[in-house]
Amino acid sequence: MVIPITGILAVSALLFVVGAVALITRRNAIAALMGVELMLNAANLNFVAAWRYFWPERMEAQVAVLIVITVAAAEAAVGLAIVLNLYRRFGTVDLEQIRLMRG
Amino acid sequence: MNHADYLSLAPLLVTAATAVAVLLAIAVRRSHAAAFIITACGLILALLSLGLPLRHAPRGVTPLLLMDGFTLAVIGLVLAATLGVALFAHGYLARLRLAGDEFYVLLLLVAVGACVLAAADHFAALFLGMETTSIALYGLIGYRRGHRLGLEAAIKYLVLAGVTSAFVLFGIALIYADTGSLLFMALANGNSLLLPAGIGLLLVGLAFKLAFVPFHLWIPDVYEGASAPVAALIATVAKLGAFAALFNLLWSVMQPGSSVCIAVILLAVLSMFVGNLLALQQKNIKRLLAYSSIAHFGYLLVVVIAEDVLLATIAALVYLTAYTLTTLGAFGVMIQLSNADGDADHLEAYRGLAWRRPWLAGVMTAMLLSLAGIPLTAGFIAKFVLLSSGVDAQLWLPIFALVISSVIGLYYYLRILLTLYRAPEAQPASAPLPFTGGVALAVLLLGVLWLGIYPAPFLTLLEHLLTYLR
Repeated sequence: MVIPITGILAVSALLFVVGAVALITRRNAIAALMGVELMLNAANLNFVAAWRYFWPERMEAQVAVLIVITVAAAEAAVGLAIVLNLYRRFGTVDLEQIRLMRG
Repeated sequence: MNHADYLSLAPLLVTAATAVAVLLAIAVRRSHAAAFIITACGLILALLSLGLPLRHAPRGVTPLLLMDGFTLAVIGLVLAATLGVALFAHGYLARLRLAGDEFYVLLLLVAVGACVLAAADHFAALFLGMETTSIALYGLIGYRRGHRLGLEAAIKYLVLAGVTSAFVLFGIALIYADTGSLLFMALANGNSLLLPAGIGLLLVGLAFKLAFVPFHLWIPDVYEGASAPVAALIATVAKLGAFAALFNLLWSVMQPGSSVCIAVILLAVLSMFVGNLLALQQKNIKRLLAYSSIAHFGYLLVVVIAEDVLLATIAALVYLTAYTLTTLGAFGVMIQLSNADGDADHLEAYRGLAWRRPWLAGVMTAMLLSLAGIPLTAGFIAKFVLLSSGVDAQLWLPIFALVISSVIGLYYYLRILLTLYRAPEAQPASAPLPFTGGVALAVLLLGVLWLGIYPAPFLTLLEHLLTYLR
């Protein structure tokens, strides 16, 4: 059975929205970072779909996915280091409790 | 890649090599002075090497990067601004007794990322440049590890940059699905609904990055939490790169009256008004400068929609130069006043500065007047060129908004100015001005005044650069 392209685009859009909602609603810093990760993977899914359905003879999309995975790993490494420091300084990773700046 | 390609990339290669050199130097021996000297020399060398690509420009180096007159000018500006931040940071880090070595590595990486952004002609280069800038900035914002506000700013910037890259990538993926190419040129010919959707998401991502209203909520917190040199870096280098990329990108899609055009006008007008209005009641200078930068980039968006390419490019470059000189100068004064007790970001820290440290107050005065766009300063010339480019394209709505909101802006710049000349309450001991910071401030002051009083040579230079290297 062949899945229509609209189905795949709908799934990736849904994944993107789920990630965005997680980012906005979750108070835990690590959960928020997972939301970002979901959004990036939604974009990756789109790249793969573009390769498979529209441009199977071209390689840009696959290379793009590899770049995104690499960069996301780098980002996660620095991000988790920051979260670790947050926990050391504040004793929590609850984003609501580390809001000091306002106005 | 052949000989000419390497020559064309010389400024980027030198900057990247300097970052590696600093890292290696740290491995041998940890020394703030050594790291600083290598960084400064490397950046000066990179600035000098800007002459090498001139002979071959405009030249596409691989499909990824395009080195033309505009790109080279922005790269020059980025490198000069990075050098300025490095000079300021030298004294600042010493006063705070922070280990300074890694600071310079991250600083250079931000510069490399901004240069790649400015040269990008391909979405892969756009994405990589953006990520290089932001990953290095996470480290810089959280550099004072025990500092609560710094950590809060770092996590905020982390989440913001993640969202930005997700939007940009999702947009790029949709554009690729439609056009089958990752080149900027591909934007001109799409045939389905995926392309406009992709361009929209891309625009949202870049608007987050450049903090256009309504995507601006992160910027005051990040400026406030980051140390003053890092805030200066975000305000100048990171924004220069992102704006150059937006400029290059939008020229390939912009048609008068298109929906992209309307969206850009909307972003511009909103940014001008909201930025200036939010700055009105600010008592914190860092937050005030953050809101003022929102407004300044709102003004800059006018050139993106102008019709005459040459005029618009000149206007963009003049404005970016004036903005960089001025913002760096204002932050430079703040950095000189900051010490281990905290950054001098509250308005009260500036009360009576003219009596305590007349030199610094003088520089701050020039910078504030330039930010407000008063004649005889760089800010005035920049606004003038920007307006003439807008008038030429008959963009009456944004021009009207620009003039009105500039008047609003006058109020809060003048308020700081008055504070500088109020009688001081106490007489705190004044610290000596460090040599490096003093030199940087003097150069910035001269630049602002020279551009404001006698801009003709600079304008001619830009015109030659842009006419022959297109």
